[in-house]
Amino acid sequence: MADSSDSSGIQQAGIPQATVVPQRRVRISVVWIIPILAAVVAIGIAVQRIMTEGPTITIVFKAAQGLEAGKTFIKYKDVNIGQVTKVELSSDHSKVEVTAKMAKSAAGLMVEDARFWVVEARVTLSGVSGLGTLLSGNYIGFEIGKSKKEERKFTGLEVAPIITGGQPGRQFLLKAENLGSLGVGSPIYYRRLQAGQVIAYDLAGDGKAVELKIFVNAPYDKHVSPGTRFWNASGFDVSIGAGGVEVRTESLIALLAGGLAFDTPPFAATASLAAADAAFTLYPDKATAMKQPDAVSQRYVLYFNESLRGLSVGAPVTLLGLPGGEVVDVGLDLDPATATIRGRVEVVTFPERLIARMSRQQEATGDALAKSQQQRRALMERLVEQRGLRAQLQSGNLLTGQLFVALDYFPDAPKAKVDWSREVPVFPVVPSTLPDLEAKISSIVAKLEKLPLEEIGADVTKVLATLNATLENAGTALNRIDTDLTPALRTTMEELRQAVATANLLLKNVDATLMEELRQAVATANVLLKNTDATLLGKDAPAQQELRDALQEIAAAARSVRVLADYLDRHPEALIRGKSEDRP
Amino acid sequence: MTTTALTAAQAGLVSCETCSLLSRPAGGAESGYCPRCGGELAQRHHHSIQYTWALVIAAAICYIPANVLPILTTNTLGSTESDTIMGGVVLLYRTGSWPLALIVLVASVMVPLGKLVALSYLLISVQRGSIKSNQDRTRLYRVVEFIGRWSMLDVFVATFTVALIQLQPLMSMEPAPGVLFFAAVVVLTMIAAESFDPRLIWDTPNGRQGHHG
Repeated sequence: MADSSDSSGIQQAGIPQATVVPQRRVRISVVWIIPILAAVVAIGIAVQRIMTEGPTITIVFKAAQGLEAGKTFIKYKDVNIGQVTKVELSSDHSKVEVTAKMAKSAAGLMVEDARFWVVEARVTLSGVSGLGTLLSGNYIGFEIGKSKKEERKFTGLEVAPIITGGQPGRQFLLKAENLGSLGVGSPIYYRRLQAGQVIAYDLAGDGKAVELKIFVNAPYDKHVSPGTRFWNASGFDVSIGAGGVEVRTESLIALLAGGLAFDTPPFAATASLAAADAAFTLYPDKATAMKQPDAVSQRYVLYFNESLRGLSVGAPVTLLGLPGGEVVDVGLDLDPATATIRGRVEVVTFPERLIARMSRQQEATGDALAKSQQQRRALMERLVEQRGLRAQLQSGNLLTGQLFVALDYFPDAPKAKVDWSREVPVFPVVPSTLPDLEAKISSIVAKLEKLPLEEIGADVTKVLATLNATLENAGTALNRIDTDLTPALRTTMEELRQAVATANLLLKNVDATLMEELRQAVATANVLLKNTDATLLGKDAPAQQELRDALQEIAAAARSVRVLADYLDRHPEALIRGKSEDRP
Repeated sequence: MTTTALTAAQAGLVSCETCSLLSRPAGGAESGYCPRCGGELAQRHHHSIQYTWALVIAAAICYIPANVLPILTTNTLGSTESDTIMGGVVLLYRTGSWPLALIVLVASVMVPLGKLVALSYLLISVQRGSIKSNQDRTRLYRVVEFIGRWSMLDVFVATFTVALIQLQPLMSMEPAPGVLFFAAVVVLTMIAAESFDPRLIWDTPNGRQGHHG
């Protein structure tokens, strides 16, 4: 719009002409409102976006596990608090870095110890979880932290934390030899009620034990005192010992999925509660866990010159049949005196267990014994030297051949002493009766095998034939007697009756004179019988013992004969043909 | 026709935009009305360049949120997904239907952008009084005008989808703010193309006076 203004020259010299600034008609059209409006709206939206934008965080996972950029949400208490914007490999390709944009409201939650994990459908023996993710896809779970320090980079958990913040209860640490069939989420039982869960496990620092983190829920955690024992209730426990077969289980779930149980043994009960994060030992089974700790123990070494097969570590040591210790070592020893190898069994006895079984009246004596080692030694020496207390291997179970060590009285055993001079005292032993029994049985079997059954059978046949003939003869003889002898017999009887009557008369006379002499004779006989009684029937009378043995032998023989008779009954032909077992 | 050909404006005449009747303009500021069809006559549109520029700039501003913001929000069984235009193109391409991806890319991304660029080019060339390749520029203008009516396709698709796919609670779709900006881009570019007077292309720098601001 430039008007061509006349610069009409400079006329009167010296007086400058006022310049005319060309009037530019600048007409801004109303239409410019449109782009301004658009810009305002766009900037408004941008500002709003930036204002509502929460922090961007990075979570490192081992694997993406179904996470997708733009589709996966981060949820806390099932509320979306963020969305995954990027899923990519870490620079060293070993992990997955998940970038997520959090909601502005969740900015304050992104603290150091906040936890993230991938929620996916999980079907385990102890339950089913995350079924919703089958339809909606996996999402990232979030658990609030306690720290105040903000953080933008997190490491995701591999498994969902079992215990979420704010759940009442306490956490404890268990040390176990191995994990057994336990896992994260394994239940913990208290009196068969589920009282908590295993929340984590890890190898101990030195790699020689497993550390389990457990959480005991609120009402139950007050039953955990410093004396509480935890034991593994996983699966079922079959133990075959000298006591037989034992099967135990805590619950069906524990049977399938593994589990723990705890209880406080009465002797360890205290009023105080265990501190949170207190460490406990995880015992392999309830019996071990609830066993009273044996404060007093005495070790002995036993040298056996017989097979130790069936004797295992942990086998009981009994005193007069009551358990009072256990075998701790089974090995071999070179006897320097005879240069032979013998079995070496080390046992530990717990005198307190036996003392605890003493009657109430003897409590004081028991306490004294429990306290004084001197007294216990003296008692043991007396028992060994005077009463013949010896250790012997006995069979606890003929079926499994398990052996145990029995301390019993053998008054006839050769004199022996406890050798206290050694580091571990040596306790005298007597050989097991078991090998004797075996030898006897085998000799009986051998004898039975030697029996000439076939010849006997033949002889019996002959005898029977002869018997038959004899019986026939006897029959004819009897007939003859019947006819020939009967009249003579009658006369004899008559004579006999007369003789008796005469004798009766005679005896009446004799009675008076003889009575006195007879009484004397009876008295003498009485004395004589008493003596006989002492020798024959008294306690420990050798004759009686022999008699018993003889009777047993007879009984055994009778059994053999019965067997033979049974056999013959079933196979009468054996008498003629012999035993039929070889016949086809 | 050469660029040096006489234009109606140079000859002091005005042509009717409706029936193309060439007539002498009425005196004064107004050009008057067409004696044959009664349409309003104008030697050149008033402030054509300024109007067009304003609309082109507004469209360009709207073009950014139209592409950055999601245009559709899909709820599928509890999982919500928002898609931008480019996101949709990428998704289509990834799922193997690249012809569809190409169509969406051309129709929704390249065409609006092309229109903006084309209009800007026309405006700049007119303002600089360029007389080169006038025919090509006229052809370009025709293309821009022609394409305009097809550009709302995206908005229609989005609207229909939202209206049809409401299978609560299995699946539902909602329009997202992006679609609003996209519609604004289309409408603004259409109006911009309309407000641009193609006769300006033929004006030589000397022959154009006072018709643009």
